[in-house]
Amino acid sequence: MGSSDGQVQGLTKIADAGQPTQRWNVVIVSEGYRSDEMAQFTTDAQQFADTLLTTAPYDRLRVAINVYRVDVTSTDSGARDPTSCGGTGAKPKTYFDASFCTSGIRRLLVGNSGRVIKVVSKLLPQWHMALLQVNSSIHGGSGGSVATFSKAPNAIEIALHEMGHSAFGLADEYEYFAGCIADHGHDNHSGSEPSQPNVTTNKNRATVKWHSLIQAATPVPTTQNANCAGCDPQPSPVPAGTVGLFEGADYFHCRVYRPEFNCRMRNLNQPFCGVCQQVIAQKLAPFLPPS
Amino acid sequence: MAKTRRKATKAKSRKSLTKAKSRKRTVAGRSRKSVAKKAKPAKRVAKPKARKRLAGLKSRKPVASSNARKPGKKATARKAAKKSESVESPAESPKAVRLTFSYQGDQVKLVSQQPVEMTVPPSDPLKGYEEHKGFWAEVKNAQDKTLFRRVLHNPTRNDAEVFSDDPEQSISLEPAPKRKGVFVVVVPDTDKGHEVTLSRSSGLPDIPEGSPRGMTAMRSLATGPATEIARFKLKK
Repeated sequence: MGSSDGQVQGLTKIADAGQPTQRWNVVIVSEGYRSDEMAQFTTDAQQFADTLLTTAPYDRLRVAINVYRVDVTSTDSGARDPTSCGGTGAKPKTYFDASFCTSGIRRLLVGNSGRVIKVVSKLLPQWHMALLQVNSSIHGGSGGSVATFSKAPNAIEIALHEMGHSAFGLADEYEYFAGCIADHGHDNHSGSEPSQPNVTTNKNRATVKWHSLIQAATPVPTTQNANCAGCDPQPSPVPAGTVGLFEGADYFHCRVYRPEFNCRMRNLNQPFCGVCQQVIAQKLAPFLPPS
Repeated sequence: MAKTRRKATKAKSRKSLTKAKSRKRTVAGRSRKSVAKKAKPAKRVAKPKARKRLAGLKSRKPVASSNARKPGKKATARKAAKKSESVESPAESPKAVRLTFSYQGDQVKLVSQQPVEMTVPPSDPLKGYEEHKGFWAEVKNAQDKTLFRRVLHNPTRNDAEVFSDDPEQSISLEPAPKRKGVFVVVVPDTDKGHEVTLSRSSGLPDIPEGSPRGMTAMRSLATGPATEIARFKLKK
């Protein structure tokens, strides 16, 4: 169990933008890959790096971003999948003990973050963002200081969403907790202004956090939820990519606003909204080489 | 008079020691860089032990080290840098401290302080967040003035994001009580930094077990303005 079930093989730079002291360093770590599966991890890690560096706004910031891969072998392949959540009951011996069904939640895939941090810090003290790629085709993942994701189709989207939280402090822009139908008590936001840069309770066009991105012709608020007992069903009244004030975000149906109708922080497989892109660009500005 | 001379001599020897140490650090830094550069064609970065051997470095202990920051070394490095650190523009200085916290329930502990030569993303706003909700870490000076602030997606929350294939609601939350784990905050390493504080909004009072799922989960939702929950001394 644990670190006796595998071996740390080393660190490899797979996207090189320069010295790690000067650049923003993303590290992707393997979990549940046997030694004979490490070639697959090389491919998977490269796929992640390629996706990251072709995703806006990272695509135009790629000269600021190093991506590294940490090869860690495990005795067995995959991740634990307890039957209590409807899983297969698999109990592979892996280095970071990744498991589905964390806290009884089927798709909550979590590894030993402390161990990941220890391994990554030894190999690359300058890391900014650590991700754990789990060798499983079951859809799952989790956030935190170490974003974890599986190899299921689209699971990279989980990693990109969680990076928004972990690396840039972005809030969730969805307007429900368990779901639009399942929710109870998520009608109205408390009123305290969220500290995150991409959600707000402020309806004032002149003073809202992202006022500089709102065009004069865009109505503010841009959408309002007519029934705060549930999610707002109306389609966007403005073209995609329009920054405004859309009611419903931060797990509440009303009295809190998001910057665009859709965003990767609201729904997977969507681009980051303009405000999230701006925040990411601002945070990565010091890592850009001098022009 | 003699006392003054003794003081001057002491200061002089301290200065030369500082210079020597500073030279050593510079050489070490250069060696480390050159090793990384050598490794570049193969794109394989040496393991720490090998790197240490090649560079002839006396290694700093990583994350878990409690004595990673020895008094004097930091001051020496700063003198060597020959520039004042600007906390508001941390990108100008590559010196940082990686703070690793552990949490279990509401309890948060600072597990380690690891000095690292790295660039830190800029601070979040230092003013106008008094009544805000959320979670953030702040570096304070001796007068309790905030020098640096990092807004975090609450790492200690009692819920977890769950992902599905549903294109309309691909993300939702589930209550995940009694969670424990670690989180990391990297802050600029500065002479002025005295303490680090963590602030967090309080959740709603406990709701009985068996309440509807969304309602039970509200326990963990931070709703009110954040208040300070922990304060730790930064090692000098």
